[in-house]
Amino acid sequence: MILSIEELSIGSRDRTIVDGVSLAVREGEFMALVGQSGSGKSLLSQAIGQLLPPNLRASGKVLFEGADLLARSPREMRALRGKRISYIFQDYQGAFTPFRSIGAHFDEYQKVHGEKSRTARRDTAAEALESVGLDAALLRRYPFQLSGGQLQRAAIATALLLSPRLLIADEATTALDSVSAHRVLELLARKQRETGCAILFVTHDWRHVRRYANRLSVMQEGRIVESGGKHRILDHPQHEYTRKLIEAAPILGRSLRSGLGEEGQA
Amino acid sequence: MKTMFLRTRRIRPESKSGTRKSRLQAIVAALFVLLVASASVYAFGVLKHDPTLTDLRARLLGASALHPFGTDHLGRDVLTRLLLGGGQTLGYSLLALGAALIIGIPFGLIAGYKRGRIDRLFMRVADGFLAFPDTIVAIVLSGLLGAGIGNLVLAIVIVKWVSYARLVRSTVLSESQKDYVAVARTNGLSDARIMSRHLLPHIAGNVLVLASLDLGKIILLISSLSYIGLGAQPPTPEWGAMLNDSRPYFQSRPELMVYPGLAIVSTVLLANMLGDVLRDRFDVKKEAQP
Amino acid sequence: MFRILLRKFSEVFLFLLFIMFVSFLFIRLAPGDPVLTILNVEELSVSQEQVEAMREEMGFNDPLFVQFGKWLLDFVRLDFGVSYSTGQPVMATLLRALPATAELTAGALLVMLLVSVPLGSLSALYRGRWIDSLSRMLAIVGAAVPSFWLGLILIDLLGVRFAHLPTMGRDGFLSLILPSLTLGLAISSVYVRLLRSSLLDSLSQEFVRSARARGLSEARIFWLHALRHSLPPVITVFGVSLGSLIGGVVVIEVLFAYPGIGKLVVDAIRQRDYPLIQGYILIMAIVVFVVNALVDLSYRYLNPEMQLKEKEAAR
Repeated sequence: MILSIEELSIGSRDRTIVDGVSLAVREGEFMALVGQSGSGKSLLSQAIGQLLPPNLRASGKVLFEGADLLARSPREMRALRGKRISYIFQDYQGAFTPFRSIGAHFDEYQKVHGEKSRTARRDTAAEALESVGLDAALLRRYPFQLSGGQLQRAAIATALLLSPRLLIADEATTALDSVSAHRVLELLARKQRETGCAILFVTHDWRHVRRYANRLSVMQEGRIVESGGKHRILDHPQHEYTRKLIEAAPILGRSLRSGLGEEGQA
Repeated sequence: MKTMFLRTRRIRPESKSGTRKSRLQAIVAALFVLLVASASVYAFGVLKHDPTLTDLRARLLGASALHPFGTDHLGRDVLTRLLLGGGQTLGYSLLALGAALIIGIPFGLIAGYKRGRIDRLFMRVADGFLAFPDTIVAIVLSGLLGAGIGNLVLAIVIVKWVSYARLVRSTVLSESQKDYVAVARTNGLSDARIMSRHLLPHIAGNVLVLASLDLGKIILLISSLSYIGLGAQPPTPEWGAMLNDSRPYFQSRPELMVYPGLAIVSTVLLANMLGDVLRDRFDVKKEAQP
Repeated sequence: MFRILLRKFSEVFLFLLFIMFVSFLFIRLAPGDPVLTILNVEELSVSQEQVEAMREEMGFNDPLFVQFGKWLLDFVRLDFGVSYSTGQPVMATLLRALPATAELTAGALLVMLLVSVPLGSLSALYRGRWIDSLSRMLAIVGAAVPSFWLGLILIDLLGVRFAHLPTMGRDGFLSLILPSLTLGLAISSVYVRLLRSSLLDSLSQEFVRSARARGLSEARIFWLHALRHSLPPVITVFGVSLGSLIGGVVVIEVLFAYPGIGKLVVDAIRQRDYPLIQGYILIMAIVVFVVNALVDLSYRYLNPEMQLKEKEAAR
């Protein structure tokens, strides 16, 4: 168990948005957290890294590698974030500071996490870009010169740069067109196989993950209504809401919903 | 047809205007009171205290029943001069604003409505004016024309009309795209009529907001230039000139420094608040101003 | 880049020529004979012959267009002739006063930065807290306080009552404090709120969250990412309000009897010393042009996107 969330609640002074949620991510697995917008799934993912907006408070326990993250000081969290836990967000434009080159991001990132040698930083950055199928020459480019798919790949490359044990992808494919999204997911799955890091994939559309996820949790209005293996949930949903969610996003003409014998095998 | 179009002016949600309306009224009332007070001082006060009459036996007096704010170094009643100064400053500022509006609005209307060569020519001229900072033009013009409040007002008008013309032009350009102008045109209304009856009401809000925000700046400019001797000349009771006048006596009589200064600050504060309230009321975005 | 500068320059130049022409007309048509002005300064009684000789010497008896031609030639050579009031060459007089003004402006900008960067940043970082309310109050009041009155108060407090800082003239570093402080405070009220709102916008951007998720420290995020992203609007306003800064310099120099070119031009205006006024206009036009060019350059530095687009457009 790399991440184990116990009775986590998130709320502002007058409102509870996430209410006593428990969730576990196992070592090296692809876990999907599915729910409609407003269900609290994004906040949940942000609470793990203590990235909540300042007006929101989290209570409960977030055990990462056995220690409670909510009890950590901001300084300790900074050392963890990016190194042991990293994030990919929906808005790929926002993954990089607009006036800094892609290379500057890679460089700064490694520097603050303790890599002293400039040449080592540069080599690692080039390697990382190439490992996600991008040209190392892109390091000199600025974010606005890259396409959406390229940016999201570069964002993944930064997120995996320091071999984190847990990668949290918050709607990482939502803003991409379906072809790019497909490629990004494939890339994530491949990197996961290579590095063995666990992935917590937060999405509003279970179709994005039906092929890659090992397990699924379904979230509704701040609670987890159903958790379990992907096939069990998609083929035999227990909860009314899960059933609705699946019906609301039908896939055309295939009998096996969970993606065995997927359409359009490329 | 005409009345129908007139009704398509600005429709504002009613709920919004409640408290803001009262605030607006309060501010306008305060500015008005200042004007009226100075006018009445002029009407009645002259008999008791001539603002420019010097009386060296009564110089630098403290507060008394006869002189509530004391007298200055030439024995003139400070309160009388303060109130009259309010009328001066506010009056000249409004005069400058009004003249800038009268020149700027027609230019903007015509340039924005006729477009083409007239518009291009206008934009050239406007760019030329804007290439040079307005405060400098004001200083230089009052320098060339000679120091004096009239020339200062003229300089402000010369500088300011461009910004109104530009604002009106850009509003007209965007309004002209709308259907009601096309309909009015196909109905055979004359250009002058379309401009004055249909376009003018739309630009009034923007212009009013800009003007009220400018009012404070103009007041500051007039009093600053009067302080350095390029605006109102002594013995005119203008606040900036009053401060310049009595500067040697500040150490013994600090209130001679405090009163005119506070008068300027509070008037400009009022004017700025008026601008803010109007901006909220007409829902003008900050970015929309030039 | 070059073409934009060229266009800007031609705009400034045309307007300058216009102002120069107008001022030329004023000099020749103005009430008060400049010859009399000059001679009156130098001697107590003036004879008719002296006036005529001076007229001839200064070329006032030539036809108007010849005068304008001569004058235009001098203008191109940056020669504005001799000051009516002092008899010194105008350009030399102005250039001698320029360092003083530059010092004052630099001091004021330093004060402005020292006030508005911390105050603006703190009110963005602690939005809605007391420091934010304080800066808003200061901005509202600051926008209504005339700079010369602020200066008078500071003179009274720091020059007379609680300290004895120099309040007149220019004599070493101490004499620079009060003028710079006054001008700096007078212009900072705008920038405090501007920086605050621009920072709030930057801090809510996604890239800040991404930087946080990478474990960058808050200080690093603020100084190296958010602050730089917030600068363009501030610089824009600085460029636009350059005129009020120049005007502010004039007022402050007069207030503190500080011997810069602002004081010089006000004295010139009072004495109808037109050559000096013309020289001042020209120097200000150059300053405005240079600052505008710097503002444009800084955009390019702050926003690489603009740089590259222009390169592509030039191709």
